[in-house]
Amino acid sequence: MNDMRLEERIVQNDKIKIDAQDVQVFYGDNHAIKDVSVAIEDKTVTAFIGPSGCGKSTFLRCLNRMNDTVAGCRVEGRITLDGEDIYDKRVDPVQLRARVGMVFQKPNPFPKSIYDNVAYGPKIHGLVRGKAEMDEVVESALKRAALWKEVKDRLQAPGTGLSGGQQQRLCIARAIATAPEVLLMDEPASALDPIATAQIEELIDELRTRFAVVIVTHSMQQAARVSQKTAFFHLGNLVEYGETGQIFTTPRDPRTESYITGRIG
Amino acid sequence: MTDVIAERPAKPSLLTLDARTRRRNAAEARFRAYGLAAVMAGIVALVVLLASVLGNGLGAFTQTRVTLQVELPAAKLDKSGTRDIEVMKKATTLTYGPLITAALSAAIKDRGIVVEGLSKKDLSGFLSKESAAQLRDRVLADPRLVGAAVTQSFLVNGRIDGYEKGRVTMQSAEKDSNVSPAQLHLADALETAGILHTGFNRDFVTAPDASDQRPEAAGLGVAILGSAYMMLIVLILSLPIGVATAIYLEEFAPQNRWTDLIEVNISNLAAVPSIVFGILGLAIFINFAGLPQSAPIVGGLVLTLMTLPTIIIATRAALKAVPPSIRDAALGIGASKIQAIFHHVLPLAMPGIMTGAIIGLAQALGETAPLLLIGMVAFVRDYPGAPPEGFFDPSSALPVQVFNWTQRADPAFVERASGAIIVLLVFLVIMNTAAILIRRRFERRW
Ligand SMILES: Nc1ncnc2c1ncn2[C@@H]1O[C@H](COP(=O)(O)OP(=O)(O)OP(=O)(O)O)[C@@H](O)[C@H]1O
Ligand SMILES: [Mg+2]
Repeated sequence: MNDMRLEERIVQNDKIKIDAQDVQVFYGDNHAIKDVSVAIEDKTVTAFIGPSGCGKSTFLRCLNRMNDTVAGCRVEGRITLDGEDIYDKRVDPVQLRARVGMVFQKPNPFPKSIYDNVAYGPKIHGLVRGKAEMDEVVESALKRAALWKEVKDRLQAPGTGLSGGQQQRLCIARAIATAPEVLLMDEPASALDPIATAQIEELIDELRTRFAVVIVTHSMQQAARVSQKTAFFHLGNLVEYGETGQIFTTPRDPRTESYITGRIG
Repeated sequence: MTDVIAERPAKPSLLTLDARTRRRNAAEARFRAYGLAAVMAGIVALVVLLASVLGNGLGAFTQTRVTLQVELPAAKLDKSGTRDIEVMKKATTLTYGPLITAALSAAIKDRGIVVEGLSKKDLSGFLSKESAAQLRDRVLADPRLVGAAVTQSFLVNGRIDGYEKGRVTMQSAEKDSNVSPAQLHLADALETAGILHTGFNRDFVTAPDASDQRPEAAGLGVAILGSAYMMLIVLILSLPIGVATAIYLEEFAPQNRWTDLIEVNISNLAAVPSIVFGILGLAIFINFAGLPQSAPIVGGLVLTLMTLPTIIIATRAALKAVPPSIRDAALGIGASKIQAIFHHVLPLAMPGIMTGAIIGLAQALGETAPLLLIGMVAFVRDYPGAPPEGFFDPSSALPVQVFNWTQRADPAFVERASGAIIVLLVFLVIMNTAAILIRRRFERRW
């Protein structure tokens, strides 16, 4: 099934950030991810697409071990970050998640002030010293999340009082303030209107200059617009993985073609 | 796809109700009526309860006193003449009693009051047996008073007090060996003369309990202190232990047969009759650990055991109610589990936890049965000391005091018991209001 010649590509590309090999995920008896191997490149936006329930979120959550928090979830295979096995016994998932940040489908700001939302990550990781430095970090994170202009006069207002799109950008600001190396985003724009979506997409494109970004999306157009690489999942299998342009113009697998032309869904 | 939608009867008018709608509306109206009736029944019961408690108990907050000028002859009270406390303590209430009676008859004579058939016994029995002790306490506290005259308000006998409050009448006095009509006439005359007043009775809340013969002097001071000490112990112990247990079970414990067993047992503990906790406390804390009887520490520990399940269950419910997205958010930026819980989950669960704790505390405050078993029912007149040593001194508790007073023969204690119930209710209302306010204060949307 994995006829995508992954090995060849790994040899060609030396800036692989996350390398997943033969990953299996089980929820109890439910085999949710079957034999998936993906190499995620640094400074690249990788899009995961596929019909609902095919395991995109599940696989994404393997990459920063968020699945550890799900009772009954079992992950097999090997996933490395910069060559180190993240499922090694010695790895503390907390340390891993500081380097592999996550933005969720539903905006979930803390019920605290906007400032505290962004400052939380740097604070618990001891990234800054002193209030002045923290102010700078918060400001730059909010600026990069394209939220600064809207909230600079009400940093002490509750984050939950923002609009849905603003909340999602706040969550992104919160994630990037921790200075991660990889940013995982699970349908970050699914709750947003087209304008907010466009802002987020712009932001993702900008974030690519610093991190590897992995984004799960149901919108083919969005995947085409923001990503350089696309992975198509179907029923727990990785059907096809390659350059976004190639996936959308000349898919190799008939299932990919049916999906992007709207016949599986 | 074939069409399987049920056929509707042709063109019903919107202006007339069909039979089905009418039936549904009738069912709704019936249900509302039941609900309203239930609420009304509840309100009526509450009003009757409050009216009866207030009607019986408000009298405890006023008390009748006579203001007298008492001579304190040094020859009787201080034989040594040195104002040495040890010597003065030798003069007992038996010495002080006649002084007060003399003052009373002097007051009667001065004001020209004549009461037919007023015997010597009537005169000495007019004032409370407590008054001699009150005067003695005052003199021992300030020996310089000896040798002069002091003015003091003395409690009158419980029956006379009852007459002033309408509980005792001339007719009932004729049949009562404890009070004579002459005494009641005297009370009327003294009131006219302006030295007998019925006024606010602060002592009811501050004074200790009194013996069976002195209902007029009985107060709740020791019981309130004892209850306060126990609540303090319950709060200090059960809140941290309960919250920590709930956090462990909810967030950290593995899901297996053992934790299931613990869960079931905690739920069961919440339903165990409170007297069982009393037996447990008696066996463990008094017989095994050797803690003193009647002490707030033992009562507090027993009530802690009772309150723990309530707090654990409330806390777990509050933790469960925090949306998982908040946990995900914290974990997703690299917070550890404990950071996610203490920084984000716990603050959101706080209103629920506090409400549960206060409700548990209110329950503990009103609990009587287990306290009877650990000896809190003993007659205690000495205030317990300041905490923490005071936790080990004997004391009483509010609900037990109510129980205690309802057991006594003198009808004046009915008034006292109802008064104590009012005090208890006031504390409960305060606590429940606090619970509501805390809820409002901490409640946040997410
Ligand atoms: N917590 C869980 N417990 C048990 N099974 C789960 C859990 N989460 C997901 N699954 C199962 O795993 C499979 C993949 O789910 P997943 O959420 O990864 O799909 P998805 O591709 O993200 O779908 P969508 O696009 O609708 O978000 C589904 O069959 C789902 O039922
Ligand atoms: Mg999903």
